[in-house]
Amino acid sequence: MRRPAAVIPLAAAVLAGAVLLTGCGSTESGGKPDLSVTSSYMPQPVTASLAAGFLTIENKGDAADQLTSVTSDAAASVTLHRTEGGAMEEVDRLTVPAHGRLVLRSGGDHLMFDHLKSKPVEGQSVPVDLHFATSGDLKVEIPVKPATYNPATGH
Amino acid sequence: MRTRSTRTFAAAALLAAGALTLTACGSGDDSGKPVAVVSEEVASDKAATVLDQPFEKPDLVLTDTHGKKYDLRKETAGRPTLIYFGYTHCPDVCPLTMNNLAVAKKSLPKAEQDELRVVFVTTDPDRDTPEELGSWLRGIDPQFIGLTGDFSTIQAGARTLGIAIEPTTKDKNGKLVSVHGTQVVAFSPKTDEGYVVYGEDATVDDYTKDLPKLIEGQNP
Repeated sequence: MRRPAAVIPLAAAVLAGAVLLTGCGSTESGGKPDLSVTSSYMPQPVTASLAAGFLTIENKGDAADQLTSVTSDAAASVTLHRTEGGAMEEVDRLTVPAHGRLVLRSGGDHLMFDHLKSKPVEGQSVPVDLHFATSGDLKVEIPVKPATYNPATGH
Repeated sequence: MRTRSTRTFAAAALLAAGALTLTACGSGDDSGKPVAVVSEEVASDKAATVLDQPFEKPDLVLTDTHGKKYDLRKETAGRPTLIYFGYTHCPDVCPLTMNNLAVAKKSLPKAEQDELRVVFVTTDPDRDTPEELGSWLRGIDPQFIGLTGDFSTIQAGARTLGIAIEPTTKDKNGKLVSVHGTQVVAFSPKTDEGYVVYGEDATVDDYTKDLPKLIEGQNP
């Protein structure tokens, strides 16, 4: 039952490069999450020791899912963070509501990459595996954007 | 409990996400949210807040990235000066803010670039030694000034600008957690007072537009 749900997000992940929309036309229903990833980017970090990643996980399914961890061959560790009032807080999971989305954005929730093997440079991409409680794994290639990239303007 | 706070925060993030070009393919969820997004955009049209009651420049004597004593008031007197409180182990807002300023600065004529003082004061002095701070700032703009020193001195200085910071603490996993300010304060070269404040949503374009005015001590 879970296999088809995993295939769609995987295709979505391949397309997730730019700010574009995936997962349209899905007719999945029946009490399970149906996830796709869009709008992913990593601002080019100052050094290889630390970077942030942002993305939107859309859930067209009838059940919520939870992002429980993230791994990447490019970094020693990737953790989930929430920012509130200038303070960061590590969290062990983030919820993707049914028929809703989880938005990781600058100034808010984000992925934190520690000790990258090399400093990501604009134009490259960083591979990550998103691990979900129900939907299994999603692979995403996160494109590296300029340090000042603003998704609202696209530059 | 956790689920509820996550949802609340996700909704807030959506609101703030402004013109993120993501649509729901007509699935009809989140009805009403786009309206809120539009009004948010209009409300925050201008990045700068000109203060009715300007701030005095904090009387901070700290250590710069060369390990030398740096008297903020003395060193920046009569100079257009931007001050931000942050830390280098900050993945998101601190480097974004400093990079926004660095890119905007490059659009100024060379003489004005040399005139401008951009001061990054660490909120995490234990980790941000002069060396650490120096190598981080060189990766952003070699003209930027980095200051470190005693935390309580830094905290008191930030407080005079209405910026609340807390010492670095360990979270439940033993990881160090620091706090950054949420504002850039611009000081006039004419009065040496902090007269304009920018929130963390200020973009390269906002700063690019405003810096020529700030250099002259004019209102943006």
